[in-house]
Amino acid sequence: MESEFIKYFELIISASLINNFVFTRFLGLCIFFGVSKKMETAVGMSITFTAVMMISAALSWVVFNKVMDPLGITFLEIIVFIGIIAGIVQASDTIMRKVSPGLYYKLGIYLALISTNCIILAVPLVSVGEKYSFLQSLAFGLGSGLGFGLALIIMASIREKLELADVPAAFKGLPMAFVITGLIALAFTGFSGLITL
Amino acid sequence: MSSTSSINLKDQFLNGIIKENTIFKLALSLCPSIAVTNNLKNGIFMGLAVLFVQTMVNITISLMRKIIQPKVRLPIFMLVISGWVTITQMLMAAFVPDVYAKVGLYIALIVAFASILARAEMFASKNSIIPSMVDGLGMGVGFLFALTVISFFRELVGKGTLTVPTGLSTQHVFTFINTKPVLIMVLPAGGFLAVGILMALFNWIDIRYMKRGAVSH
Amino acid sequence: MEATKKEQLIVSVSPHVRSDETTSRIMWTVSIALMPAMLAGVYFFGLKGLFITALCIISCMASEWWYLRMVGKKPVVGDGSAFLTGLLLGMNMPASLWSFSPFTVHVPVIASFVAMVITKQLFGGLGFNVFNPALIGRAFALLSWPKAMTIWNEPAVAFFAMDAKTSATPLGILKEEGVARLIEVFGDKMNLYVHLLTGNRAGSIGEVSAIAILIGGLFLLYKKYITWHIPVSFLASAAVMAYVFGGKDPATGKMILMAGDPVIHLLSGGMMLGAWFMATDYVTSPSVRNGQILFGIGCGILTMIIRLKGGFPEGVMFAILIMNCFAPLIDRSFKAKVFGAVKQEKAKENK
Repeated sequence: MESEFIKYFELIISASLINNFVFTRFLGLCIFFGVSKKMETAVGMSITFTAVMMISAALSWVVFNKVMDPLGITFLEIIVFIGIIAGIVQASDTIMRKVSPGLYYKLGIYLALISTNCIILAVPLVSVGEKYSFLQSLAFGLGSGLGFGLALIIMASIREKLELADVPAAFKGLPMAFVITGLIALAFTGFSGLITL
Repeated sequence: MSSTSSINLKDQFLNGIIKENTIFKLALSLCPSIAVTNNLKNGIFMGLAVLFVQTMVNITISLMRKIIQPKVRLPIFMLVISGWVTITQMLMAAFVPDVYAKVGLYIALIVAFASILARAEMFASKNSIIPSMVDGLGMGVGFLFALTVISFFRELVGKGTLTVPTGLSTQHVFTFINTKPVLIMVLPAGGFLAVGILMALFNWIDIRYMKRGAVSH
Repeated sequence: MEATKKEQLIVSVSPHVRSDETTSRIMWTVSIALMPAMLAGVYFFGLKGLFITALCIISCMASEWWYLRMVGKKPVVGDGSAFLTGLLLGMNMPASLWSFSPFTVHVPVIASFVAMVITKQLFGGLGFNVFNPALIGRAFALLSWPKAMTIWNEPAVAFFAMDAKTSATPLGILKEEGVARLIEVFGDKMNLYVHLLTGNRAGSIGEVSAIAILIGGLFLLYKKYITWHIPVSFLASAAVMAYVFGGKDPATGKMILMAGDPVIHLLSGGMMLGAWFMATDYVTSPSVRNGQILFGIGCGILTMIIRLKGGFPEGVMFAILIMNCFAPLIDRSFKAKVFGAVKQEKAKENK
């Protein structure tokens, strides 16, 4: 049992740090560069993102393994997963607005952005490809969400520091964001080989 | 720009390549620009896949534009896009399995490309079939161009070679430098640096020669 | 000069100048503090070590000069910061790079360019860089030319020798073959400690002599150029990690708790150089005291995680770079609350 627990822990660490979606799989970049300009938005996005990620990982696992696999329609995975994600986003939008308007006011706009994020689609696709169990997909979803949140928050703090900096004109904005991400990715290379699953 | 009756097809085609280049100018759909560009061949095939999906989606949406209810248009667009992506995925798995093994995940993720949905919404749903097709071709060629430039740069600097596809399953590897010159360029970190530097280069050309402001995003 | 300087409004991020010291004086003093370690490096690796370090210094100064001229700024390279970066970068390179067949002399030159232009100047120059330039230069070189960057010369104590024998670093032996083999190579445990302390071992030019680095570090501490927070928390947390998790059963290779040897880990690799001279860099470490302790602990723990479980034998460089990413965040969270700041934040939310 204890080793089982360590396995899930390793999966979370691996998904969040070692194989961080942003730094080693280059996913979710549009959102990553888009919402990392201010710390406030970065934190809001991270919270919303991790929650939606876990729910969608769990739900897609159930649908893929309990419905699609028995029916033999696994080739439709992209269409089905996109539908699940759109459904979750729409549902949580409605529920949050009714149940907690305060929270909705704060995090609502990030929900709308999430459905065009490729990580949210990549998580179920990868879990299905790796044949994860239900708990493993859940751990993978959590790790990926935490990793994306971590990346966003680091990036936001660095970009805030650079607000007053004299960055050359051609590099201002996005090119510089790419260079910063490259250097963070260079630092995160140190994690490689840490856990081999 | 989109609703005028007489659309200059040539301008519409060039628009996607230069003025609204998905990667260098709009900074959308960035994931594959780094993920698949450490090899020229993979970059080119990824670009071709996007070109195909973009064009086919635009044509389909344009054909369906009179029968789609405006209220449900977004889910229908998504459905059309994921349909074409699934077809592309199957075609690539059948004809270029070696490329597909490397870029398969990113092909599936074309579904989440903001640029494709944006062209469907902004252009194809309002225009007839020929301009929509040209628009899709232009955007796709612009994407292909960006991926080709990035992967050309990264493979040449990172490995000293260029893998040029000569057919569906044949390729020719040109070797320019025998030792690996700057290996980091084909690694994740180098991908970000390369795209950042190339983007800055495009900005610099813009500032220097076009007398226009830099793209700040 | 001083009077006009005071009247100008200078906008800068942390760390704000904490005393009357000018930037260039700090840079030159730190460079002087590095001299014992540098001399030890030249003593053990000969002219090759000196050439590589000089090449790094010249390339760093030239890159900065070229960049500043190109963007139309006044090319100031005499403030010592380019010199210090070049010196640190050179001291973090293996002496074996001074070799013409296979040709590897371009490695320090390109690493210097990356350090000065991409890591420092693109970010807006001194005071704004997020990452330690010398470490990024080295990490870039290590990932780009992994083979050339890991050929280690055996310390020869022959000044003019150009064809030194190669050998593995103590950490390399530790990772591949275990602690028993490491002690066997050096004779006995005491002998190993003495070798690690004096620097008679394979490694980067400036990192080998723990005692020489310690002299320089204590000098900076005495002159109040650095405070104890980062080095002590760095070394202490690494020592604890090494003691608790560093033990290994030689037969099965399984970890035994509380059986590690912290001394070997503290004295080998770039631990000393990193803790005293790299992690303490003003610009890329937190400026708040509590934050500095957290920064140091993070560096120590990450170093040991990478050394014990990671894919690289040495983790100091990556650990400091990873903590560099977190430094702005740490500074942000430990910043003293300004009176009325909470209200302002709330007002912003209500808008």
